Amino acid sequence: MISRRGALIGGGVGAVVAAGGAGYAIATGDKPEPPAPPSVDARGRLLWRNWSGIQKAYPAARLAPKDDAELASALKAAQAPIRPVGAGHSFTALAPTDGTLVSLDALSGVVGWEGDEAIVRAGTRLGALGPMLAEKGRALPNLPDINKQSLGGALGTGTHGTGAAIRAIHGDVTALRLVAPSGQVIDADAARNPEIFQAARVSLGTLGVITQVRIKTSANRRLRRRVWLEPFEEALAQAETRWAQHRNFEFYAVPFTGLAANISHDETDDPVQPRGPDQDAEVLRALRALRNLLGFATPLRKAAGHALLSTAKPETAVDEGWKLLSTERPVRFNEMEFHLPVENQLKALAEVVRVIEKERPDVFFPIETRRIAPDDAWLSPFQGGPRGSVAVHAYYRDDFSFLYELIEPIFRRYDGRPHWGKLHSLNGSQLAAIYPRWKDFLAVRKDLDPEGRMLNPYLRGLLGLT
Amino acid sequence: MMRRAIVPAAFALVLSACGPKAAPPPTPSEALALRPADARLAGLYETSCHACHAVAGTGAPLVHDRAAWDGRYKRGEAVLLNHAIQGFNAMPAGGQCAACAPDDFKALIRFMAGREDPAK
Repeated sequence: MISRRGALIGGGVGAVVAAGGAGYAIATGDKPEPPAPPSVDARGRLLWRNWSGIQKAYPAARLAPKDDAELASALKAAQAPIRPVGAGHSFTALAPTDGTLVSLDALSGVVGWEGDEAIVRAGTRLGALGPMLAEKGRALPNLPDINKQSLGGALGTGTHGTGAAIRAIHGDVTALRLVAPSGQVIDADAARNPEIFQAARVSLGTLGVITQVRIKTSANRRLRRRVWLEPFEEALAQAETRWAQHRNFEFYAVPFTGLAANISHDETDDPVQPRGPDQDAEVLRALRALRNLLGFATPLRKAAGHALLSTAKPETAVDEGWKLLSTERPVRFNEMEFHLPVENQLKALAEVVRVIEKERPDVFFPIETRRIAPDDAWLSPFQGGPRGSVAVHAYYRDDFSFLYELIEPIFRRYDGRPHWGKLHSLNGSQLAAIYPRWKDFLAVRKDLDPEGRMLNPYLRGLLGLT
Repeated sequence: MMRRAIVPAAFALVLSACGPKAAPPPTPSEALALRPADARLAGLYETSCHACHAVAGTGAPLVHDRAAWDGRYKRGEAVLLNHAIQGFNAMPAGGQCAACAPDDFKALIRFMAGREDPAK
């Protein structure tokens, strides 16, 4: 995310802010590191935490099966709740379990091709998949802005990139293999076990463990990436045109600056022009320093932020898409993202920015705005039509209660659906009202896992099964 | 972050002036290609540590870069193990290796720090 603004803002902002006393500000304005849970619990069980640090568990057992047969055998006897886990990038409590944690890290790689569709093990990290597909001149059509996730985790939570004509990753899955908690190995696609296929593509790891998928790929084309800043109001006014115009387009509203950072990617045959190192941490440090220094005086902070960011120059890079579409994201955060009907997206964004600038001067992370093409998986947030996403981040040391108190009501008022891996408070009855195939999904789940061995307490509440 | 990078680098400079010359850090392509000798450990490494520690410029100390690792390694295995389990600065808890046991973390740390041979 920030790296795309990084080259825009560069070291200049950091230097100016540092010279202005960022060291003092950070020392006096930052919250301390959140308290660390014990590395081992009283029973000697090793800690598991998610990426941001707000979810934790001490699983009784950890499985790392090397093939489907080993997984199937292990699941039959595994202590519930059985929870598959990838990179731990979900902010919601999808993975925590005091039963069995299943890692698919040993089930990784491209294991075959059917035409231009790759058969990929679900434990494959997205960042590793890029070069694997590139060996065949192919690529995933799109990538999220973090590529550390496992493919299985990304599918299970409806993870997506941006592009008005490009689906989320699960939208390109044409077949999958599911190992049910009974140990049954099920192959599903549009013709074989079609209901399982429609339910499983986005299923939060509640139906069993997906071990491999067949997924569409596209030619591994070079993309030209452009990053440029402009007034936030101009970005709002031009966004629809840009979504129609560019292969990938997104923009970030930078609160307390009056500015937005636009990012576009378009296919090109131009020679490679590498992106250079990510500068996420430096840019976020500058924005955090501005918050710490001037958070008490919003007009002053906005003037300083606007002046500093306005000096940034546009950035261009050319490279293969898998090298450009994702970034490192070295600064941890917590996040809420909702997917809104496209006609509501920019209205919701404008309202979110207004309320943050009015109510929450502690926020400094830019607000991410993307567009996603529709698909037909039953629990896909993009089922039934295109959606526009708006994502609000909170530094991992900072209070994120405002996401529930101030931001979620806006998203819900505009008919948003939550990202399954990101913070939200919706429960089963609320979700049933916004997903037309909700009951069908629950029926498939009950058939595959009648005892609910794949469900932890969070998921029981989410699915309305408590 | 910058201070953490500067301190070990300065420490390494002092060491290099006083003792045997340290091996140069791996080139970017060498870092990408390095793997633990043990196949199981290599599998764990590939799906977790490799994403950051094999790529220059991520902020993580580069695999086999003794100048980056030696200062950290001197803090002791227990400290580094705890950082690996809990997460530390930009590094996520468990290094995103849900399948790793404490002994795996220790072995991975030794490999990345260029300390597979305890005599070195």
